[in-house]
Amino acid sequence: MGIVSGQPRIRRRHPDWHGLLWVLPALVVYTAFVLYPLLQSVQYSFYNWDGVGEATWAGLANWESLFTDPEMLHAVGNAFALIVFYTVVPILLGLLGAALIRQVRPGPFGTATRVALFVPQVIPLVGAGIAWSWLYSQTGLVNQFLAWIGLGSLGRAWLGDFTFALPAVGVIGIWVMLGFCTILLLSGMGRIDPSLYEAARLDGAGSVAEFFAVTLPGLRQEIVVCVTFTIIAALTSFDIIQVSTQGGPGYQTLVPGVDVYRLAFLDQHLGQASALAIFLTLMVLAIIIPVQQLRRVR
Amino acid sequence: MSRIDTPHATPRIPRRIALVAVATVAALSLAACAPGSGGSGSSTPGAIKTDLGTKATTLNVLVTTPDVALFDALGKAFHAKYPNVKVNVQSQDYTSLTTNISHVLSGTNVPDVVRIASFGNLVKDKLLLNLDPYASAYGWTKWPQSQFASTRVAANGTQRGSGSLYGVGPGFGLTGVYYNKALAQQVGMTTAPTSLAAFEKLMAKAKAAGITPIIENGKDGGTGFILQNLQMDYAGSIAPVQKWNEDVQGASIDSSATVEAATTMQQWAKDGYFAPDVNAVDQTLSPTQFTSGQGLFFPSGNWQAPGLDSAGAGKFGFFLFPPTSAGGEYSAMTSTDTVAVPAKATHPAAAAAFLNFIQTDAIARQDTVNLGGVVPAGPVNGSTPTTKSGSVVGATVSAFRGLLKSDGLADFMANATASINANAIIPQTQLLVAGQTTPQNLAKTLQSDYTQELAQ
Repeated sequence: MGIVSGQPRIRRRHPDWHGLLWVLPALVVYTAFVLYPLLQSVQYSFYNWDGVGEATWAGLANWESLFTDPEMLHAVGNAFALIVFYTVVPILLGLLGAALIRQVRPGPFGTATRVALFVPQVIPLVGAGIAWSWLYSQTGLVNQFLAWIGLGSLGRAWLGDFTFALPAVGVIGIWVMLGFCTILLLSGMGRIDPSLYEAARLDGAGSVAEFFAVTLPGLRQEIVVCVTFTIIAALTSFDIIQVSTQGGPGYQTLVPGVDVYRLAFLDQHLGQASALAIFLTLMVLAIIIPVQQLRRVR
Repeated sequence: MSRIDTPHATPRIPRRIALVAVATVAALSLAACAPGSGGSGSSTPGAIKTDLGTKATTLNVLVTTPDVALFDALGKAFHAKYPNVKVNVQSQDYTSLTTNISHVLSGTNVPDVVRIASFGNLVKDKLLLNLDPYASAYGWTKWPQSQFASTRVAANGTQRGSGSLYGVGPGFGLTGVYYNKALAQQVGMTTAPTSLAAFEKLMAKAKAAGITPIIENGKDGGTGFILQNLQMDYAGSIAPVQKWNEDVQGASIDSSATVEAATTMQQWAKDGYFAPDVNAVDQTLSPTQFTSGQGLFFPSGNWQAPGLDSAGAGKFGFFLFPPTSAGGEYSAMTSTDTVAVPAKATHPAAAAAFLNFIQTDAIARQDTVNLGGVVPAGPVNGSTPTTKSGSVVGATVSAFRGLLKSDGLADFMANATASINANAIIPQTQLLVAGQTTPQNLAKTLQSDYTQELAQ
């Protein structure tokens, strides 16, 4: 009892500054290259500035136009639609895939499957975007396949189609995210105490009941990580869209990331670009911070 | 990633609040001084020299990657004429140079000659040298002046078309319509159409014969060329669109000519004159579709000509977009591969001599056609580069020289502001061709996006 009550006093006298020393190098780099630019962006968002010349105070004008420009709101809407493709589908398929891969004995087949699923994480997205736009073209592999199975009449230039462009881009997102989610969920499954499965089986659970009673609750941490990571990827998506559709046809696949790029690097409206970028950051935080709470409930 | 992954990393709320407070204070203290350094000095040269002397000099030229072959050749020819000046050509890819140009020019290692895609705020921020004194010294002021329209910038730093000269180009782009000679024969086309009606009749015949009338890259702005050609036809002059391009105050694209042009183009789409995948085809795919015989016409620019000649010499022809009625004035879009001299250039006199050389020297002008695929302008009596007879390159060169004399050359609408093409022209023409917007809405949106982009 005496030791326990004495501890806080000792701590107060010797605050643990050693820890800070170890963190310092990383903290300096993080401050210089993440926090400081972030604050600068906040500052720029209140100015009209082309990046070189003199900046003029803009007040809230850059922020107001975020909420009055219908194209901007449409772009935000598209980013949310992408969550379905980047988050919901990859996690559901990832759970299924991981559960199936676990049934397979360790060996070449399982390894090959994991590698194949993870390859999209390794390929530069710009290259992947170009390859996908070939697949989706009028004479591309997708239409060739449809023709081969006798559905040639459904063929179209997918990325140029007003109805299917966004889902087509979304499928690229599924392809990118599925491997990441599957591998993460698979490693999570390996962490679950085997005795839980044994207990479930003794209680007479089938593999479906086992999945919902043991596997799914055991994967809470990994699922939250998947959700967080993929939502960020969906809301801040840029490279795939810039390469494959450039936001078109019309404004069907326009997302805020593409808008930020155009404002900053084509228009050189750094103020407006910063306002949108900060807004995007806040929007991402507003969504993923509540998601983090799910992790704690046990 | 690992930050999110580790369960213990979540900071307690009070610390978070403290962080936010620190950040806010830091932000407020930052906000005390405005970003930007202001102008970097004078951009008008004092006394100028046209004599390069005998001192050994290295002229640093920064261009985009596809320009390297041309500028290497131009540099060699220049060195042969001025043995004491060595030309060192460096390059960046197009997007890098376009997006970094203001930082390159305001930095410490500034080139003597630089390729620029658009003026943006470069003149306003005093990053480019005013070439007026050199223009009078070298006699550029006595040449056809329409070639300098897009590189003159007014005192306000943004309005183009008049004011001081800030750049010149070795050669010019030119738009028109390529046609497939074999398919043209099938639809009975013996001469180039001289009116819009004749052009439409040929397209109707092609459609009836199962041939796609128009190949176009609607994904990255090709349909915008057709819209602008029609617009200039209906306006009866290039003047209205040219004023708009040059950011002249009060100029508007929301006009009856634009609505008429959009109406015609939408009708062509409804009649099936475009390929069904027009909105998904980009600049690399469209010439392939055209050279493989997938369509009769290909409205595009002379930058495609060398490629078409090498894909099938003698198989393709070129004509200028026809006027509304036979006998009317022809017009086309043009743009120059502008090169400029930075305000901080180390050797401005040698740079200006180089600019004069590439516009006037016979070898340089021939290189420009051969390696750049663009047409040199320069003085009226400038040497005419030779081209193979029957080649589309030859057809574009002679068409350009005709239009230069008749002042039928306008800038691309796509270059009116830095992002008008990406933000408005491309999506709006895509919507138009797909029947998802009206011609009136297109005209209105082009104008409102333009106003918005110029506002800042």
